[in-house]
Amino acid sequence: MDLSQYLEMFIDETKEHLQNLNDQVLILEAEPDNIDTINEIFRAAHSLKGMAGTMGFKRMQRLTHDMENVFSKIREGKMGVTPDLVDVVFKCLDAIEEYLDCIINTSDEGENDNEDIIKMLNACLEGESLADVAASEASSDDESAPAAASEASVEDGGNQTADVSDDKRKYLHIDIADFEKNAITEARAKNLNVYGATVYIDENCILKAARAFLVFKGIEAIGEVIKSVPGVQDIEDEKFDFDFSMLIISEKSLDEVKKIISDVSEIKEVIIDNYDIPSDVEVVSSVQEAEQKEDKKDDKKKATAAAAAKANAKPVAGRSVRVDIEKLDVLMNLVSELIIAKNGLVSVSNNQTDGTESKAANQSFNEQIEYLERVTTNLHESVMKVRMVPIESVVSRFPRMIRDLSKKLGKEMELIMTGEETELDRTVIDEIGDPLMHMLRNSADHGLESTIDRLKLGKPQVGTIQLNAYQDGNNVTIEVIDDGAGIDVEKVKASAIKKGHITEEQAEQLSEKEAIDLLFRPAFSTAEKISDVSGRGVGLDVVKNKIEGLGGDVEVSTKLGEGTKFTVRLPLTLAIIQALMVEVRDEKYAIPLNSIVTIEDILVSDIKFVQQKEVINLRGTVIPIVRLDEVLDCPPREEEPENLVVVIVKKGDKQTGLVIDNLLGQQEIVIKPLGKYINIPKIISGATILGDGGVALIIDSNSLI
Amino acid sequence: MDENEILTEPKQYIVVKLDQEQYGIDISFIDNIVRMERITRVPKVQSFFPGVINLRGEIIPVMSLRNRFGLADKEYTNATRMIILKPENGAKIGILVDEVREVVTLEESSIEKATRDEQGVNLLGVGKYKDTLISLLNIQEIIQELDNA
Repeated sequence: MDLSQYLEMFIDETKEHLQNLNDQVLILEAEPDNIDTINEIFRAAHSLKGMAGTMGFKRMQRLTHDMENVFSKIREGKMGVTPDLVDVVFKCLDAIEEYLDCIINTSDEGENDNEDIIKMLNACLEGESLADVAASEASSDDESAPAAASEASVEDGGNQTADVSDDKRKYLHIDIADFEKNAITEARAKNLNVYGATVYIDENCILKAARAFLVFKGIEAIGEVIKSVPGVQDIEDEKFDFDFSMLIISEKSLDEVKKIISDVSEIKEVIIDNYDIPSDVEVVSSVQEAEQKEDKKDDKKKATAAAAAKANAKPVAGRSVRVDIEKLDVLMNLVSELIIAKNGLVSVSNNQTDGTESKAANQSFNEQIEYLERVTTNLHESVMKVRMVPIESVVSRFPRMIRDLSKKLGKEMELIMTGEETELDRTVIDEIGDPLMHMLRNSADHGLESTIDRLKLGKPQVGTIQLNAYQDGNNVTIEVIDDGAGIDVEKVKASAIKKGHITEEQAEQLSEKEAIDLLFRPAFSTAEKISDVSGRGVGLDVVKNKIEGLGGDVEVSTKLGEGTKFTVRLPLTLAIIQALMVEVRDEKYAIPLNSIVTIEDILVSDIKFVQQKEVINLRGTVIPIVRLDEVLDCPPREEEPENLVVVIVKKGDKQTGLVIDNLLGQQEIVIKPLGKYINIPKIISGATILGDGGVALIIDSNSLI
Repeated sequence: MDENEILTEPKQYIVVKLDQEQYGIDISFIDNIVRMERITRVPKVQSFFPGVINLRGEIIPVMSLRNRFGLADKEYTNATRMIILKPENGAKIGILVDEVREVVTLEESSIEKATRDEQGVNLLGVGKYKDTLISLLNIQEIIQELDNA
């Protein structure tokens, strides 16, 4: 059977369940008696098992099954939660994640049986009571069949022992209301047949609802369904086990109706007979009895289903739809096209103002353009919002990581996170996980001192790492703060000299900030020994590259003995920005507006030299200036004008002035990549299409500071 | 389809001119042929990239085939064309040629295998068509070289 169309859904849901499990087990570790948590874990494990079973991932199913067994025991109070158990469960979660990765990459769960973990899980079970182990083994025997199926058959089996024939005629227990009774009597009067039927669908069937729908469709062609249990809506929503019952009115014979139903594929059994309205007393009693039975039977399932629904619904507020990111990209591209088209209109209208057209016509044209501008801006914002994802989806795995690091490094530490709800564009979110993880590992390994050292220094025994995220204008700032030893600038310098990054003379002239920036050089690590966690020389430079690639920047501030703070600033969106359009010779360039401080008109005679570099004194601050024409290899000007237009840009608290020829004005621009093959210099971060169809390059002012 | 069949199937090539030399480009790589458009210069890139163009909302780098093959610059004329190539599993790239002449169909038998010409240009072979010789460019390799450069 082809399950590939469900694979994506399976992967998404498994990821959600895994994250949920990780969170819950962390809570459990802190509060071993929290019964809500235990229930939640049990439910999630159960859902995972069911899902893996349906998809035919037997190894994953087996592992989750054993995990479920353990929590089932804990839930019943037969077992306590021990730290060892938590470790095993975490290992188990990691193994499931491995399966999932394997499935994502190859659509297959791989060959790893994870016998050791299963053994450990079973050892946990055995540790408490031997009798139950046998039971759990027995139940794990019938694993070859998909979980959902095996469960259903076990439950059904229990019922069948009582009275097979009667119990299977579930239609006898249908509760009928007065108007339905009338319908039946009426039908009889018209000489139509009234049948009661119970349809059993094959337990391996994936699309139960579709099969049921076909049954209904078949009957509607020859008669009428006056009542079904569960209701039609529930059946469509797949809210039924593997059987449903109905009352049918039809002129066809019993056999004909039966044939129509059984002709639908994957129908296991159809029990159908003439139906008589039961006498009132009978109805009530049997109905109640049936309901009770049904209720009991369904309790467990309902609870799990409800829990699963709850777990799924938790992160989503209000109504939501899952949308493929590619579809959003298409939408985004269309919005981009619209903005380009609008810019085209704007440039046409600007040219026309020179002409002789009547003023009134021009004004209304401009009004329409302004209207269009408002609409496109709003549209852009809405689409951007759709693409925004809370940062939570990335950071939620960090508490678990810090816990593991804490054990591995033998340091006590805790992670405090704030602002998980801060939203970023999906494309940024996808990329930011690894750099953040690197920084956290860095803080845990290099930043925090060992527990013994902390005690000696009179610091709190448990080290703290903070991860704060917040929106700041058009940027999102993420801080990673530790209360560890801080960065020893002298040590950094010494290490840089040893590695040949700088000479001793250079080292002496470095400011503290410049020295710290050395950390971001490739192959730089001050960790004395290489550990599993960090110190392999890849790290901060990769972090920096990645973040700059996203259009953001990283900064470090540190105080020796008190801690270190990494500040990452990221743009809210990557695709469309506000920019200042400038001219250098006859070429047009765009400078992102969010990095611009002011625009100044300065006299050439005001330019001073500091260390052979041009600077200006702007209201008491000395700011270096960069001549864009030189950086961009433009032909030199024939004669230098007396006045220069300087755009002051900032990066963190550093400023630089960019000398340009002309200002063209502010514009909303769509950032486009420059294509492959061409080796783009660092100062160019992309390109945009102008209203007249030309291309303007976007200046990355950060690279010039 | 077995390998022999692929080899013997006649292929179509677009014949372009650089000075007096004729080059053939496998038609399956060609996305589009456009007239000269305004090229935006990009500073500090490889010397054989005059810049980028806007092709229906997509920004595409344009390479001068003359410069790439070590020929001197030549004024753009009315005959100058940009051929937009779309290699398999690759991004689009435009190449500038002096002139686009015609489309020819070459049988495998009329192609003599060769890997490079005197200038070191990456070739698939040299095709004989009527009385002329056409150097068939190995587009896949020529583009791959850019990635590695």
